[in-house]
Amino acid sequence: MIRLQNIEKVYRTSAIETLALNSISLDIAKGEFLSVMGPSGCGKSTLLNIMGLLDAPTKGDIKIDEQRTDHFSDKQLAQFRNRKLGFVFQSYHLINDLKVLDNVELPLLYRTSSGNERKKLASAALEKVGLSNRVKHFPSQLSGGQKQRVAIARAIVGRPEIILADEPTGNLDSAMGSEIMDILLQLNATDNTTIIMVTHDEYMASKTHRLVRLFDGVLVQ
Amino acid sequence: MLRNYFKIAIAVLRRKKFFTFISLFGISFTLTIVIIVAAFVDNMFSAGYPDINRDRELFVSRMQIRSSTNASSINAGPSYYFIDHYVSRLKTPAKIAILSGNFPVTTYLNNKKQVTSVRSTNDQFWEVLQFQFVEGKPYTKQQIDNGEKVVVISEAVRSNYFNEGVAAVGKYIELLNMQYRVTGVVKNLPSASNVYADIFTPLTLTQEDMHEPSLVGGHTCILLLDSKANIPKMKEEFNQMAAKVPMDDKKIDNKIFDRKLVFADTFLESFVRDFHAGFTEGAGAGVDIFILIVSIFFLLFLLLPTLNLVNINISRIMDRYSEIGVRKAFGASSRTLVYQFIVENLILTFIGGAIGVGLSFIIVQVINSMDFMYNNRISVNFHVLSFALLASLVFGLLSGVYPAWRMSRMNVVMALKAQ
Amino acid sequence: MLTHLFKLIWNKKKQNFLLMTEMFVSFIILFAVFTALVYYYQNYHRPMGFEYDRVWKFGYNAPREISDPDSMAAFRGSVRQLIRSMPQIEEVSFSSENIPFGNDNNVGGVNYYKKNVGADKYTVDDSYSAVLHVSVKEGRWFSKEDDAAKEKPVVINETLKKSLFGNENAIGKLIGEGGEGMGNMKIVGVINDLKDKGDFAGPHNGLYRRVDTGNYGGGAILLKVSSDADRAFESRLFKVLSSTMRNPDINIQHLAYMRTRINNIRLIPVIITLIVAGFLIINVALGLFGVLWYNISKRKSEIGLRRAVGASGHSISGQLVGEALVLSTISLIVGSFFALQFPLLNIFDLPALTYLIAQGLAIAFIYLLVMICAFYPGRQAAAIYPAVALHED
Repeated sequence: MIRLQNIEKVYRTSAIETLALNSISLDIAKGEFLSVMGPSGCGKSTLLNIMGLLDAPTKGDIKIDEQRTDHFSDKQLAQFRNRKLGFVFQSYHLINDLKVLDNVELPLLYRTSSGNERKKLASAALEKVGLSNRVKHFPSQLSGGQKQRVAIARAIVGRPEIILADEPTGNLDSAMGSEIMDILLQLNATDNTTIIMVTHDEYMASKTHRLVRLFDGVLVQ
Repeated sequence: MLRNYFKIAIAVLRRKKFFTFISLFGISFTLTIVIIVAAFVDNMFSAGYPDINRDRELFVSRMQIRSSTNASSINAGPSYYFIDHYVSRLKTPAKIAILSGNFPVTTYLNNKKQVTSVRSTNDQFWEVLQFQFVEGKPYTKQQIDNGEKVVVISEAVRSNYFNEGVAAVGKYIELLNMQYRVTGVVKNLPSASNVYADIFTPLTLTQEDMHEPSLVGGHTCILLLDSKANIPKMKEEFNQMAAKVPMDDKKIDNKIFDRKLVFADTFLESFVRDFHAGFTEGAGAGVDIFILIVSIFFLLFLLLPTLNLVNINISRIMDRYSEIGVRKAFGASSRTLVYQFIVENLILTFIGGAIGVGLSFIIVQVINSMDFMYNNRISVNFHVLSFALLASLVFGLLSGVYPAWRMSRMNVVMALKAQ
Repeated sequence: MLTHLFKLIWNKKKQNFLLMTEMFVSFIILFAVFTALVYYYQNYHRPMGFEYDRVWKFGYNAPREISDPDSMAAFRGSVRQLIRSMPQIEEVSFSSENIPFGNDNNVGGVNYYKKNVGADKYTVDDSYSAVLHVSVKEGRWFSKEDDAAKEKPVVINETLKKSLFGNENAIGKLIGEGGEGMGNMKIVGVINDLKDKGDFAGPHNGLYRRVDTGNYGGGAILLKVSSDADRAFESRLFKVLSSTMRNPDINIQHLAYMRTRINNIRLIPVIITLIVAGFLIINVALGLFGVLWYNISKRKSEIGLRRAVGASGHSISGQLVGEALVLSTISLIVGSFFALQFPLLNIFDLPALTYLIAQGLAIAFIYLLVMICAFYPGRQAAAIYPAVALHED
């Protein structure tokens, strides 16, 4: 599903060059649930951003679904992300000015779909994460776990094949964290969605199919 | 999509109330000024009572006599002689109105001082200009030729001389120690009207030397055409005629003053020619330069409110860092985001514009009720409103484009890290 | 500390650029408005130079049958006789159309050898100075002794004297009506400037010629009336005048009224500009306030850190106000560069002092505005608890 070959990422400022990722090669199969671990600053998020096409590697090839993406224009990239990828962030990144349902609808706005259809899909996604009763609330009225469930609903509403989760349980206590983890596991099992999750939590990582560790930008399998 | 933009725009506006207040204050105030100025300009240039055929009229209101040897010049309206001998022989005009400049006449009624302004006109004046007669009718060509002492007065004069609402036709008023018979009463004119006067008298009464050859004489003539399409043809015929008129004026030294400039101008052209008197000699009157100058002033005026709004918009955008990151992550292209922000800003501008229109309605009412322009009522009409709409659009785009561009170039990774 | 502030601003120059542009444009607008205000204020405080109370004016045309200078002089004489005979009339003077506070102007060149200047030219008679109480500074006003003069006698005003002769003596010099050669007009007197174009008008060159038999045609008549001249008298006067002068458009006006009118004409545009500029400034002030407030709320962690390393609340608010002031100083330096061009290039012909005062006022105003706008956000920042601010990020 995702193939990384010799990925290198260098951050340059006028004074120093930092090597964030050092020739990383990684194959992720369809339907796989992969967790990425490593200490702070080891390049986990950078790796996830590159897989999510939010950031471009300095060197190396990335193929998603057998397609190379390095020649894509801004518009093509946007469309590709919209169709194939779903994101879940540690700090949720919900839009505070929008109600829960409108937040979940967001990815569908960048496709051609009718308002009714959007509403139907968004409601279905919220049902999947068990939040049908909070549709008309604003994010500020929800607890952390509920916010993250909304974020997951937003990530899956467009039926992406890949979900990229950056420490989805990092801001939550262990009970809520487990709830979120269960939802992700279920998604992976029932819809065969490929999930890549960055985490600090050994216990969460142990529930996934495969674990890779990053250390100073180098992959330790 | 648009509904979604609208939703989020309203939500954002409600959340940052202080910024919203500043933005709306700036926008509505700026547009109020634009609308009020537009209302004044519209009042000045668009056809109105009694000059309602303005779009198919040409004005000969300025005769400039110049000297090739020094910088002196004489500027005044053309003489009756010039109009009568040359202009009235032109073939293109359907009707020609001739009018003198207006001059004040003082009367003391029961020790109350009245200053009325008097203008002399020919008979076609009443056909070119569409006066509304409260009673009676205009004087005729025959009455003018016979030298009858008749006048047409305004309603205001009737109220002063007789009494409010009392019929005046057939009665006499005293002007310049002579008795004049009233033949008609017309509705009051706006003081800014190009043919303003309180009393109209036949041209023959004040012009004893009308047939003496001269060029300068303080008159104006209005050429009414059958249609707007004849304007170029009319101008050409006029210019050909003017070129043949000899420099023959008994009152000035024809050796020093040896050149004359006289044009048949549209209303706007004649205004502009007066505006930069002496600068233009061409038939074009410099309308394009005038419009350029006015536009530059307009843009300069808009500059400060625009900068202000741009600053506030940028702050507003920075505040929505994470939202922008999320939208990008979920498939919004940079262009979509630019559109979103511009639409949001346009919505804001139009709300401000609506408040501005409301404000200007109130201000226009106040200006009109103070009546400091005497009978001149400015109004926020269709023209003015469509201009306001256009101004809102320009303003919204001006102040939205740069912040939107900044927004679209925001780094997604950084945006998602923040918080 | 100041270099520290400069560093902070320089490192954020891109973000601050728009803010500085806004301050710059505000400065330019304020400079223009203050220039007008200062100019008006200075003019308002110049002495009037004449008296206009109880002075009436009306215009006249020479009767048509008069075509030679002698009968014109006779006509004038008889009109003067007629008017003087009324008990309420104290003085009568014939003048060209360009009387004080009127709409008419007559501008032309005046030269002293090669020195050419433009001046307002008046044609007046011997009693003009008595009607208007003109104060003569040097020499004398016109009188009968000028009848026999070889060269045309003229009186000039203080401003014209200065622009032609500087501090030299002017009496007895010969000047001409433009050109280069020696003139044929002999200066017999210098008078203090008449502020005859309204209270707010600036000084202008003035040249007074004596009306002589060569001047025929129309003009204005100025009357000084006694304090018991009322409307009833005005009405009687009008009847007498309109029957003797056989003019269609005799219109008696009071100079006091004309003064109010001409002042209004000058004031109204300034008042409108003031209203507009006032709103623009309120607009800018609110915008500045908003942006500064926002910037400070974005820098909570930086402020928390500063508190943690030992900055007092005062020094924090001082720093923020100081930053805003440095920012405005940069805009003001650029703005002043443009503002200084006006006196240097002598644009609009105003005295340099006017520009400099206006510039000073505009600078003070901008500083005041910025301080007010930065003060409240600064106070807020000073109240930030370091622990909370550092935790938030």
